[in-house]
Amino acid sequence: MAAGSTYTPLATSTLGSAAASVTFSSISSSYTDLILIFNCYNATVDGGSPFIRFNSDTTTNYSYTWLSGDGTSATSGRDTAKAQIALNAVTGWDTTSTQPGMNIVHIMNYANTTTYKTVLNRTSLANATYPGTEAIVGLWRKTPEAINTILISLTAGGTFATGTTFTLYGIAAA
Amino acid sequence: MANTYTLIASSTVGLLGAASIDFTSIPSTYTDLLLKVSARDSTAASRGAFSIRFNGSSAFNYSMKELRDVDGTASSTGVTGQSEIDGGRTVGTTATASTFGNVEIYVPNYAGSTAKSASIDNVLENNSTTYYSNLTAGLWSLTNAITQVTLTCTGSFVQYSTAYLYGIKNS
Amino acid sequence: MLNGGAGAATSFDSIATTTLSTTASSMTFSSIPSTYTHLQVRVFARSGASADDFRFQLNGDTGSNYSRHGLYGTGSAVAANGVTSSGVGNLGVIDNTASVFSVAVIDILDYTNTNKYTTVRTLNGYDANGSGYAFLASTAWMNTAAVTSITLFPSGSSFQQYSSFALYGIKGA
Repeated sequence: MAAGSTYTPLATSTLGSAAASVTFSSISSSYTDLILIFNCYNATVDGGSPFIRFNSDTTTNYSYTWLSGDGTSATSGRDTAKAQIALNAVTGWDTTSTQPGMNIVHIMNYANTTTYKTVLNRTSLANATYPGTEAIVGLWRKTPEAINTILISLTAGGTFATGTTFTLYGIAAA
Repeated sequence: MANTYTLIASSTVGLLGAASIDFTSIPSTYTDLLLKVSARDSTAASRGAFSIRFNGSSAFNYSMKELRDVDGTASSTGVTGQSEIDGGRTVGTTATASTFGNVEIYVPNYAGSTAKSASIDNVLENNSTTYYSNLTAGLWSLTNAITQVTLTCTGSFVQYSTAYLYGIKNS
Repeated sequence: MLNGGAGAATSFDSIATTTLSTTASSMTFSSIPSTYTHLQVRVFARSGASADDFRFQLNGDTGSNYSRHGLYGTGSAVAANGVTSSGVGNLGVIDNTASVFSVAVIDILDYTNTNKYTTVRTLNGYDANGSGYAFLASTAWMNTAAVTSITLFPSGSSFQQYSSFALYGIKGA
């Protein structure tokens, strides 16, 4: 399928009830980059953090480097050989509905079958208990394949709150 | 085909400057808001404060957490219960002439009935050792749909300051 | 005037894209049209050198007309630095690890406005499963000319095969 306009919504998922995960599947390969945006709070478990996985790969093919500010300290860290890319590396998300957080996740050159895949994420969580403003760069090291499925979930048994909307946009290049 | 990324309104500050830049009567027909701001402050300093309010509200319902570089030193700060979101800094009048900042503000689900998050990325350059950049998480804890965005600085926005409001639509 | 509906024109257009079939010391977008208000460059690139400084110049200007800074995490520490009156602008860092490509989203506002210097903001980084950076970079190009070309380059080596660069225009009217 040919790409639509340059900046195109590919799929949207709005939760009718709290859910542990959301999956975007059968992602068109017609675009260059993907941008995933969601804004929510953790409905179940304080401290669970959002993460992503690609193409149902649950093996330790993921790693990420982060730059973070929690309102007190500026920190940087890294996790290697993980089973997912964290979208909030330093703190978790709590259950306070009036203090949601958001993520803007750039998944670059996602459809190529030649390279590993790199993700650039901005987390913004001005939560009093679990604050974090972060830039996270993640890597998926599975033998190169196009990304056609994205799982978004939470650690520690958390759930995304009812009404949370996840949108996946395709960015086409000339 | 639906237009996903659409200019809603823009503002260019004229010769007399502007105490604030306001976007009002924002339609609810988009999903997210994106602002691009290129501004300079009339304050007699190398930089001034850059702030954001929603719906004209100055009630103490704003919070922020910031990761920043101030004059070459990285740190993080945060505040709660504020009357506006501290979005970083704008270039002031004692900074290198003709320099303007570069700010991007993203507000998802702005027309929804939940508290509002904001992501703010802000840099200003001054060709000197005085410098500021920040990655900020902002929060407005009220659940009203956003119909107005107000940008302010310490002094006034000077001539040629600009702000562009875009709507991002997910369907 | 507020633009509220489905009939509004889209504001985000693809202008040009390049994917390298072989190595290249630099990559230039030239003859950039003046019909947009902002530019965004999206980069997916690999250098031939480890943790290579990622640089740029505008309009072919090689003079000391750039002021640049960076706030970054190395995976173990946070650092910040800057250089004034430099000959290059700062876009962060790109690496040479096989199959690992660094990324950057580069935003240039008001690029045709001749009353302003051009300020460039970049979110960049890479992760190589044991090394990497997350980077907020900024540069002012101290020239009020409209931007008509952007040259990107790794300072210590060349871009490697499969590096990809896409230029987008964002309308402001």
